[in-house]
Amino acid sequence: METNRANMTQTGIFEDLQRKIDEDTAVKDQLRDIVQSIEKHDRTTQSILSRSHSTPSSELQPVIQAAEANIQQEVKAIGQLSEVASKYPYYKFNYAWSRQMQDACFSILLCGYLGGLGKGQTNDPLFKIEQVGEIMAVPVNLKDRDAFHLTIEEYLLALVSLIEELARLARNSVTLGDYRRPLEISRFIKDVHAGFQILNLKNDTLRKRSDGIKYRVKDVEDVVYDLSLRGLLPKE
Amino acid sequence: MASEEASGTAPSTSLYLPSFEYFRSELDEHHDRRERIIKASRDITAASKKIIFTLHRVRQLQAPLPQNVIKGNAQYYETISKQFASVSADLQGLNAHRYARQISGGCQEYFEAASFEHYLTNARILPYDEAAAQVKKLDAEGPGIELSMEDYILGIYDMTGELMKFAITFMATNQALPAISSPAEGGNVSQRNLLTDMRDLRSALESLDAGYGPFAKDVDKKADVMRASVEKVEKALYGLTVRGAERPKGWMPDVEAGRALEVEG
Repeated sequence: METNRANMTQTGIFEDLQRKIDEDTAVKDQLRDIVQSIEKHDRTTQSILSRSHSTPSSELQPVIQAAEANIQQEVKAIGQLSEVASKYPYYKFNYAWSRQMQDACFSILLCGYLGGLGKGQTNDPLFKIEQVGEIMAVPVNLKDRDAFHLTIEEYLLALVSLIEELARLARNSVTLGDYRRPLEISRFIKDVHAGFQILNLKNDTLRKRSDGIKYRVKDVEDVVYDLSLRGLLPKE
Repeated sequence: MASEEASGTAPSTSLYLPSFEYFRSELDEHHDRRERIIKASRDITAASKKIIFTLHRVRQLQAPLPQNVIKGNAQYYETISKQFASVSADLQGLNAHRYARQISGGCQEYFEAASFEHYLTNARILPYDEAAAQVKKLDAEGPGIELSMEDYILGIYDMTGELMKFAITFMATNQALPAISSPAEGGNVSQRNLLTDMRDLRSALESLDAGYGPFAKDVDKKADVMRASVEKVEKALYGLTVRGAERPKGWMPDVEAGRALEVEG
C-alpha cells in the first residue's frame, strides 16, 4: 500500500499534513489544561457570589472579599492562558476559551456590581470593558496586533448574564427585606437595555441572548411595581 | 420614580450610550467585513463549481486539457481571482483566522477544482505548498490569501467525489477504468488506474488523525461521503466485470441514487 501511495501522491504529502495537525493538537492540549483551570476557579467564584442571594447587603462584605480572592486566582490563570495563546493566531483557537472568558468577565462584573474590586466607592456600578481588561491584565478589543485579548462580544455576553443574575437578585432582595436594591437594579438594567437597543445585531448568539433582556427589564419592573403598590419603596 | 433622576448624575438612560456607540461601530465594522467575505466566498464557490463542471467534459486522464476547456474556464478563474482580491485586505493578520470559517467554503471549493484539474492532467495530488502558492497568486497585486491546511484536506475529501464522477462517466463510455501509466519509484511499472488511486487516497485520508475540535468534526462528515464515492466506483467496476458485455454502449450505472449523501461546499 505504501509504495502504491507514493505513486499517486508524492511521498510525504500526508506525513506533512499529519505533522501539522499534530502540532495543532499539542497546542490545543496545552490550552485546554489552562482553560480548565480557569473554569474550575470560576465555578468557585460563582458559588461564592451566589451567596449574595441569601445575604443582606449589610453583611455582604465577607462574601465580596472571598469572591475577590478567588477572582485573583482566575486572573492568574487568564495570565497563563494569555501567555500561551499569544504565541498562536488568536482566532485560530479562541473557540477553546471564549466561553470561559465570558464567565470570568461575568464574575468580575457581578462582583463589581455588588461593590467589590474597588467598585464600592464609585457611583457607576458597571465596569467598562477597559476596566475589566485592567482587572484581567489583558488587552481588550485588540485590532492592531494578533495577541490574546478580551473581545467586545465576550464582554457583552457577560453583561447579558449580569442582567439575568440581577433580575433574580431583585426578587431575592425583597425576600431579604431590602426594598431599595430592586429600584437600583431596575434603573441599572434599563440603562444597559437602552445601550443594547442601539446595537445592530445580526442573527447570532449575542442577538439571541440579548433578546431576553427586555423580559428581565419587565421582571424587575414587576417587582418594583409590587413594592410601590404596597407603599414599600424607600422614601428619599 | 422621578425622584431617582435627581441624584445629580447625567440622565440615566444616556449613562452607557457612549460605550455602546463604540460597541456598535466596532460590531458594524465586523459584520460588514464578515458579509463581504461570505459574499466573495459564495461567488468563488459558484465559479469553482462551474470549473469542475467544465472539467467533467474532459474524457482523457493524464493529458493536457483540451483548448475549449481551458478557454471556457478562463472567465471563472478570473472571477475567482477578482473575488479573492476583493477580500484579501480583510483577511490579514488578526483577521486571517477570525473569518476563516467564512472564506473556508470558497477556499475548499477552489482547491477542489484546482486539485481535480491537476489530477486530470498529471494523475497526481497537488501538494499543499503548491496549492497554497497558487491561492496566494490569485491575488497577485494584493497581500494574498492563505490556504489553510484544514481547507486543503477538506478540499481533497471533496475531490474524491469528482474523481468518482469522472470514473463513472469514463467507464460508461469506454467500458474500462481510466488507466494511468507511471513508472514506479523503484523503476518498475506499477499497475495504476483511477480506482487504485482512489483507494490509496482513501487509505491515506483514513490514516490521518484529525485530532479534535471543529476541524475533526468537518473531517468526520466528509469521510463518509468520501468512502461512499470509492464504493460507487467499486460497484460500477463490479457491474462492468460481471455484466459489462451485456450492456449497450453508453449505458450509465445508476449512481444518482446515493446523491443525497453528498455534502458539497
